[in-house]
Amino acid sequence: MEKEEVRIGVYVCKCGSNIAGLLDVEALAEYASTLPNVVFAPWNLYTCSDVGLDEIKKGIKEQNLNRVVVASCSPRTHEPLFRSVCGEAGLNPYLFEMVNIRDQCSWVHVGHEEDAMVKARDLIRMGVAKAALLKPQEIIVSEVEVKALVIGSGIAGLTAATTLANRGFPVILLEKEKELGGMLRSLYKLAPMDADASEVINEKIKEAEDNPNIEIYTGATIDKVEGFIGKFNVTFSANGTSKDVRLGVVIIATGAGNLVPEGLYQYDGEKVITQWELEGKLKSGKIDANNVVIIQCVGARSPERQYCSRICCAIGIKNAILIKEMNPEARVHILYRDLMMYGVENEDQLRKAKELGVRFVKYDPERPPVVEENKVTVFHHLMGKELEIPQEMVVLSTPLVGTEDGVKVGNLFRAGLDQNNFFLEAHVKLKPLDCATDGIFICGSAHYPKNVRESILQALGAASRASIPLSQGEVKIEPIVTTLVNKDACRGCGLCVALCPYNALEIKETDEGRKVNIITVACKGCGVCAATCFRHALGINSFTDEQIQAQIHGFLAA
Amino acid sequence: MCTGRMDPAIIADAFIHGLDGLLVLGCLFGECHYVSGNFNARHKINMTGEMLAYAGMNPGRLSFRNLSSAESELFVKHVTDFSTEIRELGPLGGEADKVPLPKLKENLEIAKTALAGPKLRWVVGKKSVFVDTGNKYHEVFTEHEINRTLSGIVIDEMATHSIMAALQNKSASVKELAKELEIPPPETLKYVLALKRRGFLEMESVKDHTPLYKYVEQEG
Repeated sequence: MEKEEVRIGVYVCKCGSNIAGLLDVEALAEYASTLPNVVFAPWNLYTCSDVGLDEIKKGIKEQNLNRVVVASCSPRTHEPLFRSVCGEAGLNPYLFEMVNIRDQCSWVHVGHEEDAMVKARDLIRMGVAKAALLKPQEIIVSEVEVKALVIGSGIAGLTAATTLANRGFPVILLEKEKELGGMLRSLYKLAPMDADASEVINEKIKEAEDNPNIEIYTGATIDKVEGFIGKFNVTFSANGTSKDVRLGVVIIATGAGNLVPEGLYQYDGEKVITQWELEGKLKSGKIDANNVVIIQCVGARSPERQYCSRICCAIGIKNAILIKEMNPEARVHILYRDLMMYGVENEDQLRKAKELGVRFVKYDPERPPVVEENKVTVFHHLMGKELEIPQEMVVLSTPLVGTEDGVKVGNLFRAGLDQNNFFLEAHVKLKPLDCATDGIFICGSAHYPKNVRESILQALGAASRASIPLSQGEVKIEPIVTTLVNKDACRGCGLCVALCPYNALEIKETDEGRKVNIITVACKGCGVCAATCFRHALGINSFTDEQIQAQIHGFLAA
Repeated sequence: MCTGRMDPAIIADAFIHGLDGLLVLGCLFGECHYVSGNFNARHKINMTGEMLAYAGMNPGRLSFRNLSSAESELFVKHVTDFSTEIRELGPLGGEADKVPLPKLKENLEIAKTALAGPKLRWVVGKKSVFVDTGNKYHEVFTEHEINRTLSGIVIDEMATHSIMAALQNKSASVKELAKELEIPPPETLKYVLALKRRGFLEMESVKDHTPLYKYVEQEG
């Protein structure tokens, strides 16, 4: 490629009085014009207005600018606009650099005009130094296989699968058990509507089974996963046969497990049982105990399991109400630490339980209740004395826990899990349904203990997120990704592959030996690989070592 | 872009070009926007700090701190505190630093070469793996063990690269090198022989029964 003269245009924006209120914008434009490679440096009242944008286009055409720097506001809001204007004027959009002298200067240094001017000059000088080294980039486009994989057929998985299928996308639904339905199959009634769990889940199962877009495999295990968003290759076996499928997106709905409280509160599965086991008894209508004690937070919020399982309070109270309704003579005590009864319906449930005569006793985790042959002894927090409660049945509310199958699926898809083996979202607030790896979404209790309503909501959300790439048929990716800047230097050692959090690097045999291959679609441009490669073979587009160093040297050159 | 993009060699380069202090602010641990990049950054920056301190720079000039993007007051506090700390230290190479200018910048150049090289980058890159899941033989190391290894490598690398730098444009005996670089003669001999074995040095001539060594230009 012929080496052309670098001609930088710097547009300094007043942003009305947002910038010009503190900074002398005209002096900054004057200063910018003295910097290396800068051939044109006007100021604008609003660079983002039609007038301002026209000036950028005019500058590119009339001044033959081949780099544009705008010193104004936040790239978060305005970089796409300025880039596209450069593109319209025939300049590659990635030959644009933005300098933030509003949010990071005029707004935060009010009252320090002199220092703010020094900082604004520093920032502009750094932007210009980097702009001189910018290289054109092209948006990366990758095709998406229009097919989804849903793992797990509990209420969350079934909802996600039928939602996607109803939108017309083919779905493969995998279930490790012989039957669909997950946890709801063994539950009795669902609070607060008193809905029959079996009816709810059977309706969902029928809907999925009747949907021609859903291919269902039970008794399935996943053996191998390769690829990335739009092009996953998954190998699974179901009922003795192995199958290879190509998929665009994956929804993980592997659910959670029930903690078996071995060794806690004399648990024996007969007289001292879990809520899970109580559901079974309620289902068969066999409750013959008149004195029932329910203990909350069993094995939860403890040193070994520090989290709150969120839904057990509602379950405990729901089942207390059911027992009372079956047998109004029954004496039901709930021993709790704190009550997690959020939301209008749950509040009503709590009130209803109290009206029905369910007794609530707060216990101190330092002095937990003691279960004995026919009684439970508990230290009453408020009365300050020991209570002896007669019991014929003790029910332990245990938390939902992450499962081994979840860990297996997580490892296969490189989807992150937390210390309790629940799946991690990419961002708590901004991307609550996505895994950190693109094209993989999570819903249901695999993510965190959830009730049925929350699982359904999250499944609808995950299906909606997953349908974006499916309906677009392609994914467009910012080219700010890792690039092999020096192929000869790469020795294929694989250090970068081990460190990549996104599985975006692999070692491939080539004619020139082992070399790293970058899966640009999977890369997020974090730069860990480039900062680690001791052969200095890797760089990040628009953030190469040279560009970063030019910025630093530009800063220090004052 | 992540704090994990912080290249140790670029950090050293910035100090060489006149930086007096560098504050790196990253996400909270466990809440990294790039999954695990801030752990990687911490390992790298800790190691870089140790290297630069060994080269004679005040370790307070490089700091890695964490906060979430919602903690604006904490951000201001970190930046204000750090600016005050650096003002107290004064410009690079002053009284606060163990080694004065221009020697400090020469040392930093040597540190930069070592930080760009394979040894430190491998160990620091693999640190998380060694501590979390262990090496190829399933040996899991404590962070303390890895740090001790890294400290040893910092000293070795600084000596090795000092010797190579000293022999770029001249030849010298082990005794002369030991005196010039203030490394004990037996240590110097060990480093020189190791470098010779690896093909970085060769014996140029023998003067008064003493061999003189010089640097061998490397390819690729």
